[in-house]
Amino acid sequence: MRNYVLGIALAWFIGANVASSRAADEYTYDAVHSSVSFKARHLDISWIHGRFNVVEGKFSLDREDPTQSKFELTIQADSIDTANAARDEHLRQPDYFDTKQFPTIEFKSTSVKPIEGGYEVTGNFAMHGKTKKITFPLMGGKEIEFKGTKRVGFSTELSLLRSDFGFDKNNIGLIGDEARILIDCEGMRK
Amino acid sequence: MPEPLLYGKAMIAAALASAACTLILLGRRRPQSAARCNLAGALGMGFGLTLGYYFLNVRPAWPPATGLDRFLVVVLPFVLGIESLGGAPLAPPWLARLLRISLCAAIGSILLHNSVYVSGTRREWSRAEAVLTLTVCGVMLAVLWMLVIRLSRRSPGVSLPLTLAMSIQTAGAVIMLGGYLQGGAAAFPLTAALVAIGLVLWRCGELSRAPSFLSVGVVGLFSLLFIGRYFGNLSTISALAILLAPLLSWVTESPWFRRQKPWVFETLRFAVTATPLVIVLIFAKLEFDRKLGPLLL
Repeated sequence: MRNYVLGIALAWFIGANVASSRAADEYTYDAVHSSVSFKARHLDISWIHGRFNVVEGKFSLDREDPTQSKFELTIQADSIDTANAARDEHLRQPDYFDTKQFPTIEFKSTSVKPIEGGYEVTGNFAMHGKTKKITFPLMGGKEIEFKGTKRVGFSTELSLLRSDFGFDKNNIGLIGDEARILIDCEGMRK
Repeated sequence: MPEPLLYGKAMIAAALASAACTLILLGRRRPQSAARCNLAGALGMGFGLTLGYYFLNVRPAWPPATGLDRFLVVVLPFVLGIESLGGAPLAPPWLARLLRISLCAAIGSILLHNSVYVSGTRREWSRAEAVLTLTVCGVMLAVLWMLVIRLSRRSPGVSLPLTLAMSIQTAGAVIMLGGYLQGGAAAFPLTAALVAIGLVLWRCGELSRAPSFLSVGVVGLFSLLFIGRYFGNLSTISALAILLAPLLSWVTESPWFRRQKPWVFETLRFAVTATPLVIVLIFAKLEFDRKLGPLLL
């Protein structure tokens, strides 16, 4: 009787794990076909654009139960590129990103909710030594197969205040407090 | 953008507070004991810097997250504590000496804590590189500290605190010209407090008995340059030139300089130290005009 109960429990455990691993698809961030860019106001009359060139990430998409999906993104802060080497060097310094102290900008989702055309993702966004909970719509999620590789694409645009992340208030003026971040990314799996 | 009005307010606050505190603690009796003079100098620096950084709008995070935070919240209180303890009549001299050596050994690790140099998956230095760099920096601070204090006892004069203050202010200006405004601005209260206490002690005739405030200045100069070098854009050559500039005052200990009239001697000592600082400043300005200047047009 004891062996019988143990057998059922083991079968249930294995079955549950197989089911969950089937449901969640793991994707890695495709750096070749993705971009994390941003823009910030200059003198409140125009926008300065830039991007981060080194980004890593992974997604876990559960098609059956989207609330179990997970998204993670790690940006190397010193890969900032605003098409001006002197400005990039300046932005890496402690008045801005302080990349020697805070080398990465990270996002890790804590909850995911399906919405029309994508997901509403909530998670912890860590930048410049401060972590804040943010929520944003992540549009997309359609999967296609191309040359044996399954791909899924997402896009989002979110707005952050630099002052919320401990950036020096004296340096908010020329460059506006608000930064708009645009993420277009593809995840891939074999 | 630099805020001259803010810097001015911070300097005036630091100078007035440190001068008043030192004067009050010195009392009326002259000459005052060395312990009392040291305590007055150290506490004057502490009071002046607290008020100066308050007016500068510097609010370090707790727990300290950046190199500058750790300088303001860990290093400065520690050196002020050591120098206040050194001035206490019952404290054995070896204790203050031991604490000074401990600070020299630990200061690099404190300022670089959690940075890409010493931690994380993509750390820039190997363990051996980190140990070597931090040891060399610690030894440099210890030698600079010892030689400045020895000089202040051997040949006290108002030019010594003034040259140290000039080095600190040059460090601040060069760090700012490199693009790290907040790090450079941290020099303003330090310079103002050092000059104010130096002048008060000089007028009271107690300068030779109170090297404690110079110790705070030496550690402050080293820390600012260290932060500017490893977190900002300060070059190693500029950092070394500014750090070693106060030691040029030793040149004026040669017999020819000693034979000069006191005011000539003090002026020459000031000029000898100022020369490399002016050169570093000129190069920093040229680099600023070439790199960051166009961004402000």
